[in-house]
Amino acid sequence: MFGWTGKIIRVNLTDKSIKIESLNMKDAYMYLGGRGLGTKIIMDEVDPKVDPLSPENKLIFMTGPLTGTLAACSGRYEVVAKAPLTGTIGAANSGGHFGPELKFAGYDGIIFEGKAEKPVYLWVNDDKIELRSAEHLWGKNTFETTDELLKETAEDARVACIGPGGEKLVLFATVMNDKHRAAGRSGMGAVMGSKNLKAVVVRGSRSIEVADPDAFIKACKDAIKKLKEHPVTGTGLPTYGTEILINILNQAGALPTRNWRDGGYFEYAEEISGEALREKYLVKNKACFGCPIGCGRITRIPEGKYKGFGEGPEYEAGWALGANCGVRDLAAVSKANFICNELGIDPITMGCTIACTMEMYEKGIITKEEIGFKAPFGDADALVELTRMAGLREGFGDKLAQGSYRLASSYGHPELSMSVKKQEMPAYDARGVQGMGLEYATSNRGGCHVRGYMTSPEILGIPVKLDPLVTTDKAKWLKTFQDLTAVVDSANICLFTTFAIGLPEISAMLKTAIGWDYTDEEVMKIGERIWNLERMFNLSAGFTKADDTLPPRLLTEPLKVGPAKGKVVELDVMLKEYYEVRGWDEDGVPTEEKLKELDIK
Amino acid sequence: MKKIFGVMDMKVKFFAYLRDYTKTKEIEVKNCETVRELLKRLSEIYGGKFAKEVFEGENLSSRIIVLVNGRNIVHLENLDTKLKDEDEISLFPVVAGG
Repeated sequence: MFGWTGKIIRVNLTDKSIKIESLNMKDAYMYLGGRGLGTKIIMDEVDPKVDPLSPENKLIFMTGPLTGTLAACSGRYEVVAKAPLTGTIGAANSGGHFGPELKFAGYDGIIFEGKAEKPVYLWVNDDKIELRSAEHLWGKNTFETTDELLKETAEDARVACIGPGGEKLVLFATVMNDKHRAAGRSGMGAVMGSKNLKAVVVRGSRSIEVADPDAFIKACKDAIKKLKEHPVTGTGLPTYGTEILINILNQAGALPTRNWRDGGYFEYAEEISGEALREKYLVKNKACFGCPIGCGRITRIPEGKYKGFGEGPEYEAGWALGANCGVRDLAAVSKANFICNELGIDPITMGCTIACTMEMYEKGIITKEEIGFKAPFGDADALVELTRMAGLREGFGDKLAQGSYRLASSYGHPELSMSVKKQEMPAYDARGVQGMGLEYATSNRGGCHVRGYMTSPEILGIPVKLDPLVTTDKAKWLKTFQDLTAVVDSANICLFTTFAIGLPEISAMLKTAIGWDYTDEEVMKIGERIWNLERMFNLSAGFTKADDTLPPRLLTEPLKVGPAKGKVVELDVMLKEYYEVRGWDEDGVPTEEKLKELDIK
Repeated sequence: MKKIFGVMDMKVKFFAYLRDYTKTKEIEVKNCETVRELLKRLSEIYGGKFAKEVFEGENLSSRIIVLVNGRNIVHLENLDTKLKDEDEISLFPVVAGG
């Protein structure tokens, strides 16, 4: 078996059974692994109308054929389930070392079904797999949990766990692995918590075989060389991390500010930028398994009320907790980010939910009495305290734990939640970056930036420079980005490789690893298949064209300053074209022909 | 460089590792009619290493992003983009993602 290990662990938490199954090779060739294969299994085994927090939902940890190999940036894996925050198919991608360790133990993935009666964790040690009690760990944060588990299993094992956030079913709870890496969005941690599953610990001593070792190593070396030579992956990301984007988006007039109310320019952006982080609090950079880039940030706030240590903030987190809340204090933003990691909650949704709260507070819709203290935009203490409360569902935090859409709706103002399909949009003001507007509206897990990262061509000029202010060609480009990203998320190498390499290099590593000769077009088709499968799940779950939209603020409130002054998102134009380009009907439903072409039943 | 006769100078902002070459976050400049002239002026001020970051021969380096009032010059007239007083020009090396 090449690339893949060929084995899947299936754990039924209700009856405590553990089985080893063979990987379905037909599905493996059609969906690769990670996000694609995980989605296929959910599609086959889970009713799309299921309650995401019920025992009938399944939680899948899935690696890809390239995870743990010598491929560039091969540290990735995916957590897949029906998502509690959105009700869509949910898949969250994470780096670090957990994914490779699972492959070294001899498994491509783990499927969790049912619900344990009492908290448990799974310990996978090569061939020895057992469920153990986690009652003594319940309530502990992700750092403490990880340290404890390493003591009682093996020092060199790898841990993926939930914190209090997941235990308390915060709808945007994360699965944290290797302490600081997150399978972050749409609430995978809450699914894990709903099953009383505290952690998965893995230790593996095997290696992974590839079909053509010489050709594979050559392809990997080529890819790594290109990564080292490209300014983004070779210099920018390791030096400044992803927060470097704060100043870039701000100067381009597209940094959403104060719950997107104050247009695309934050007057204090410099203070929460990647440059500032590097200057003030960066200890050093950090890499995941097999990665020559090293974009991670090890951060320390040495003193003061926001004293702390951990990793990040990354761009989207730094934006959500910073500019979007009007907060200019980088120490406070970092502290809030550390709390998100320790409690196991998504900092993007957290920051946006606090921003929504702050706007409602300033409008007098929520009172100081209800929250327990003042919470206007810019209040750094409020930011940090509300984050802690949300992760623990304490007091007003119980309302925050539902995310901004349910929170705002409960006050009669759903339009103040800057979300799509109930997941909050990240850090690019689509009124100034039109293609991102289309991505937010059409992404299969709601307001998501990363699966169709149009910022790359529209702002950074990679692979070519597109004009961010126009709608021309955006649909066609977005489809390409969405399909290629699905491939990357399923082969499970890091998406950041795509700043420097493209389909040919990724394809070369994949083909030589698994020993299957197919064309670049066929590789892209795998991506298109995965995208359409996700779409079919969502349609079956009850989503319609009406949900492919944006908050009223983006459609009706033009930006007031900057190069995009006067602009709203011209979604109608782009969406119509997008459905056509995708081969869907005018209601956004994949046609029979398209499904047949992609071999989806 | 000071403002004279109440005329606003152009403001040039530097980001990421460009600041290592310029040792400053921003500078005010006057009397540059085009982006090309401006970049040449800045190269004179900050030296050869800076020049290498912004120019590839006579053309704009592929490693740099130049915004004039937030608009990438690629969508204006590239190096021939005209400048006026009060314009804000931002220079970024091609850096990031995420």
